[in-house]
Amino acid sequence: MLAIIATNLMRRPARTLFTASGIALGVATIVALLAFTQGLENTAAGFVHLGGSDLGVFQANVSDPTASELPISTVARLRAQPQVSSATPLLLLVEGIPHDASAIVFGAERNGFFARSLVLTEGTRPGGVAGEALIGERLAAERHVHAGGVIPVDGHSFRIAGVYHSGILFEDSGAVLALPVAQMLVGRPGEVTDVVVQLAPGSRASTAAPAIERALPGTQVITDPQQALRAGADSTLISKAVLVIVVIALIVGGISVTNTMAMSIMERQGELGLLSTVGWSPLRVASLVLGEGVAVSMLGAAMGLLVGVIGGGLLVHALGVNSYVSPSVTAWGLGQGLLIGVAIGVLGGIYPAWRVTRMRPLKALSTV
Amino acid sequence: MSEPAGAKVELAGVDKRFGRISALQELSLRVERGEAVAITGRSGSGKSTLLALIGGLEQPDRGEVLIDGRPLWSLPHPARARREVVGFVFQRHLLLPALSARANVEVALIGAGMRRAERRRRALELLEAVGLSDRAEHLPSELSGGESQRVAVARALVNEPRLLLADEPTGALDSLTSERVLDLLFRLREELGMTMLIVSYDPALGRRTDRTLTLADGRLLAASETAAVGP
Repeated sequence: MLAIIATNLMRRPARTLFTASGIALGVATIVALLAFTQGLENTAAGFVHLGGSDLGVFQANVSDPTASELPISTVARLRAQPQVSSATPLLLLVEGIPHDASAIVFGAERNGFFARSLVLTEGTRPGGVAGEALIGERLAAERHVHAGGVIPVDGHSFRIAGVYHSGILFEDSGAVLALPVAQMLVGRPGEVTDVVVQLAPGSRASTAAPAIERALPGTQVITDPQQALRAGADSTLISKAVLVIVVIALIVGGISVTNTMAMSIMERQGELGLLSTVGWSPLRVASLVLGEGVAVSMLGAAMGLLVGVIGGGLLVHALGVNSYVSPSVTAWGLGQGLLIGVAIGVLGGIYPAWRVTRMRPLKALSTV
Repeated sequence: MSEPAGAKVELAGVDKRFGRISALQELSLRVERGEAVAITGRSGSGKSTLLALIGGLEQPDRGEVLIDGRPLWSLPHPARARREVVGFVFQRHLLLPALSARANVEVALIGAGMRRAERRRRALELLEAVGLSDRAEHLPSELSGGESQRVAVARALVNEPRLLLADEPTGALDSLTSERVLDLLFRLREELGMTMLIVSYDPALGRRTDRTLTLADGRLLAASETAAVGP
């Protein structure tokens, strides 16, 4: 049976290929978006645990965590909480570095645990001079600069005191300035984006988070990557887009397979009628047609997985977020793409297969 | 190869209509085990419909079609019964164009509960019986009309049917090739002891069969009427 399915598909290679390509496009889009979403989640994980923190405190009800604005007084109030071991404020500057829109500049306290967690690979830590910055090793490599060089931020030039490694993609793709300098650059003195917190020994994020939110009304505490993703409007939009694309792929792919298989059975009525005359049951003939539908979809899904993996990388470049989102292809992501491909084949093959079971062999043979 | 006994065929008061057209009317006949019967008649006289009813491809609107005393259609698995009892040969060979001659013969064995190696062995055995063992791996496009029809004969016989239904099996062949295919059919029928019903316009076929039945407007004509009916 499998050999017959394969040879039947090879009889019309162009039609098989075009149908598979349509399915591949849908599957590729899904796989690329899933890889992108997984990448966002990984980024969010880094975002939540900046500088080795246990949780991050943001302004409540913001469309995106980077749009959060908190008063600097929040830091002192957090430090006073019994569950908190240490707290350090951060100010995030997005699009601060020219020609590298996705690089984030962090304004951080010089002695906070965030700045202290950065491992220097070149140069020294800034020595209290306002015009100095640290830059991540990825950014240094991309711009071909080293310690002692210059990095422009928001129209001002900063001397690169050192180059650091943190192990977190978007930290290593960004730069760090002293917090007051960053506040001055964006004209937000006394304000920060968020406060990252290390918990006291014995405290757990799940219990500390609601206690902090109660103690500091108007804040939201983000403790896990999923929560960070949900807090971001963009990622919510992407999640919904994935769902919409899955539904569209199922409908369009299903119709495409139905059309292909319907054309195929119209052309092969005589052959299918013959299979009935030699003793194939209607169910077996229908299985052949359904099998062909699933096989063409599997071919499309395989092509789609390949294109999706490549497309995920291209997508982050196209969106200009490659500095802080690295698409992550997981086995489950590929599995979902494959499942959708099979579902397209089954959905699309059901109607032609049913039609075949209604076919009268004598009439079918008369079409030859 | 074992020698299955031929099947007994009985039709009693059979009517068959396709829309407003009456294909067969009040048709009754009996074909004994191992008998070879030629069926003649003008185009549209109901010959092919008769074979389709006997072979279980169509249901009668009225009356009964019995093979060995049982109606194929009322069996729990009519397709399986068809595979085990009936072999069909048509005017056109109807080979699957993407499959080799051997695979075309094997197609009739799929679902017969046979292992692939056994199916292959049986198919090659039948191709040898029809004199095409050297063409087993050729595609239908690489075979002549006569060779293709011989593959179709092998396909019809691979399940060792007890009833062979041939609908104008030489209608698309030249006279020399027709003779060869008919020789083959009658030789194999003799070897296997099958019952055979063969539809043909060729009046000479009657000399090879035990008797000839003539159809006109869906009815069987009496022997005295048949002389007046041509193709």
